[in-house]
Amino acid sequence: MNQDRPSSITDKRIRFDSFSGTEDALFPSKKQRLPAMGWNSWNAFGSGNTEDLTKAMVNKIKELGLDEYGYKYVVLDDGCYRPERVNDHLESDPVKFPSGFKAMADTVHAAGLKFGMYNDIGDRLCSGAEVGIYKHEKIDCEDYINWDIDFIKVDNCYYMWDNATFSNPENAIYSYAPNIKLISLAGTTYSAVKDAEITGTRASVKDDYVTFIGTFDGTAPDHSPVGTRSSELVFEVEIDEPNVYELVVSYASGKEEGVGRWLQIAVNSDVVFDEMLPETESPETFTDSAPIKLKLVSGFNKIRIMNHRRQENTLNSYTEIRKELENFGKDRDIVFSICEWGKTQPQNWGHNVGDSWRILNDITFQVGADGNNGTAAWECDYTTSITSQYNKAVIMDEFAGLDKGWNDPDMLVIGMDGITETMCKSHMATWCMMNSPLMLGMDLRRVNKSDWMYNLITNEDLIALDQDPLGVQAKRIFTTFKCDDPSTEYIRDNNRVDVLAKPLSNGDIALAFFNLKQEEHSDKISISVDRIINSIGHKLTPSAAENFKNAASYQLKDLFTKECKVTSDKSFSIDSISACDCVVYRISPLA
Amino acid sequence: MTREQFIQRLLEVFKEDTSDVFSNGLEKGWLEFEDQLYRDDVITRKNIARIIHMYLLKQKRIPDLQDISKAGELRDIYDCRVCAKHVAQIYLRGIMGAKELSAKGGFLWFDLNGEDDDHSIEEYLIRAYGITKEIG
Repeated sequence: MNQDRPSSITDKRIRFDSFSGTEDALFPSKKQRLPAMGWNSWNAFGSGNTEDLTKAMVNKIKELGLDEYGYKYVVLDDGCYRPERVNDHLESDPVKFPSGFKAMADTVHAAGLKFGMYNDIGDRLCSGAEVGIYKHEKIDCEDYINWDIDFIKVDNCYYMWDNATFSNPENAIYSYAPNIKLISLAGTTYSAVKDAEITGTRASVKDDYVTFIGTFDGTAPDHSPVGTRSSELVFEVEIDEPNVYELVVSYASGKEEGVGRWLQIAVNSDVVFDEMLPETESPETFTDSAPIKLKLVSGFNKIRIMNHRRQENTLNSYTEIRKELENFGKDRDIVFSICEWGKTQPQNWGHNVGDSWRILNDITFQVGADGNNGTAAWECDYTTSITSQYNKAVIMDEFAGLDKGWNDPDMLVIGMDGITETMCKSHMATWCMMNSPLMLGMDLRRVNKSDWMYNLITNEDLIALDQDPLGVQAKRIFTTFKCDDPSTEYIRDNNRVDVLAKPLSNGDIALAFFNLKQEEHSDKISISVDRIINSIGHKLTPSAAENFKNAASYQLKDLFTKECKVTSDKSFSIDSISACDCVVYRISPLA
Repeated sequence: MTREQFIQRLLEVFKEDTSDVFSNGLEKGWLEFEDQLYRDDVITRKNIARIIHMYLLKQKRIPDLQDISKAGELRDIYDCRVCAKHVAQIYLRGIMGAKELSAKGGFLWFDLNGEDDDHSIEEYLIRAYGITKEIG
């Protein structure tokens, strides 16, 4: 077991309380950029990608002209490194990439494309190769800059400070506060259950103590990303005399999801304690902490018992990498793709350091190989399907934006086995509506001009939605599933049709009807102009919203059939929609 | 059993040339460079699953099972993005079994980083060989 411990956090901008703040940015140089587009080796070839295959993909991108549609980044995913360092440096796998990474970058750049690589905040990659970036931030980032990378995807396996994939499950000691029963302060004892407020949605009362003080693990699709996902225990204590007081916490530690050993204490917004407590006999054997000194003011003081380290440690690790990339490559323009699978609610903090953040575990675990298309799925109980990823991403629009970055529901699975052309069509359309990064994941040698895959991935009208300069992710404004608020409710029952609306920079609105069911929906669905404007009008300029609302008529362009029609109706409808299908209109107000 | 011994035994069971344990697998893509680099390490269950699966796929042209949803019953199947597909194929073909996570039963896991004794590994290889006779 790793005997280290998470580093102390001295930069307030990495603290939970600063996650939403933008006044004092961690990286003022961070660009406002649209979602990245390109090809990534993982879904196509898994760990089996090679120099020859990558060159073939580069050639095919040029032959198909995919770069002219925006697909610029060629990213080497896991499986490309020699599985151990050489003189502390990363090297390419000598069998798969015998010419090395710089030569690969040169090949990609010579084709007018951009070159991307992969690493991990832990001490190993997900493949097990012992070349994770932890404790090698400087040396690796200098190498990455020397190799001329334009993009880096950073994974989360073998992470030391959380129970991430392949990490020690007992790393939960860092992720959660201990169970808390009582605190004693200035001669008074306060009950965690009776005298404190539990904030957020994670913690709960068990018998006479409070447990699960921390945040959800968002890797699996079980929890909504919306709302306050972490919990604190807050005591409001009235003090007569301003002074330094001693606080004693009655706690019991554990090492599993929900109960750990790391405790943070804040008085109002000042974190005054941020350390590991001694282990107790069991998660229900309570003991008193050593006295902790708190400086309190007269009147009411909020004493916050918490542990936000699950999020702060991960942000800190990504920050270290970005800092070094900027240090060695001051003038370089590198896309930073966070891939911690939604584990630590990156929608709260990802915008501080990255250009996009994965929201769940992988969209498929049946990736392809040379000669094998791999397999994807339309729906499943876990993350490994198009609808699993969609169902979470579709309610995350408020976390994304040009000034933040993008939710990443994982790479495209178009062209894999197990899904139909119609499913792929809806996959592409919804990813574009949701401003997702568009990373192709098929063996491009299978794609030919004018075949259905080519036509889909080069649908300029759809790509224009993804890359619209206004940079606003679509909002779900209606669903046939009964719910109170379609824009925020986490719905995993796929027996429904959703309607998404997306404001565009020229005052148009994109409207998508998406049938998640594997059967036809034969009832008419109508969406009024008022509903659209009430839901997303505030994302347009006031004049554009008024213009749309009061237009005498509208042009509707079907972005798949390219048919245009003009209507003076104040609602837009479909009479029916096929199984797993998607109908997308670009609606332009006419004078 | 080490990685090298395992690969050697695999080649013997399948009646392949054993004069160079690694060259064929690296060339055909059913071995990883790490297998050669860590040839003396004890082989883990996830690496047994990977090597057998890739050998069947690349060398014996045994196509993958399309529906691996039943492998979702393994509690640790999604702990490993790089080996889930290998584990699923080998588990669903009955080459390697699951372990019980609970004494009461009902909680299956693959034990990705676990190690098996030589007798068990021999059985896996014989089952894999049998599949090539059935399908190949």
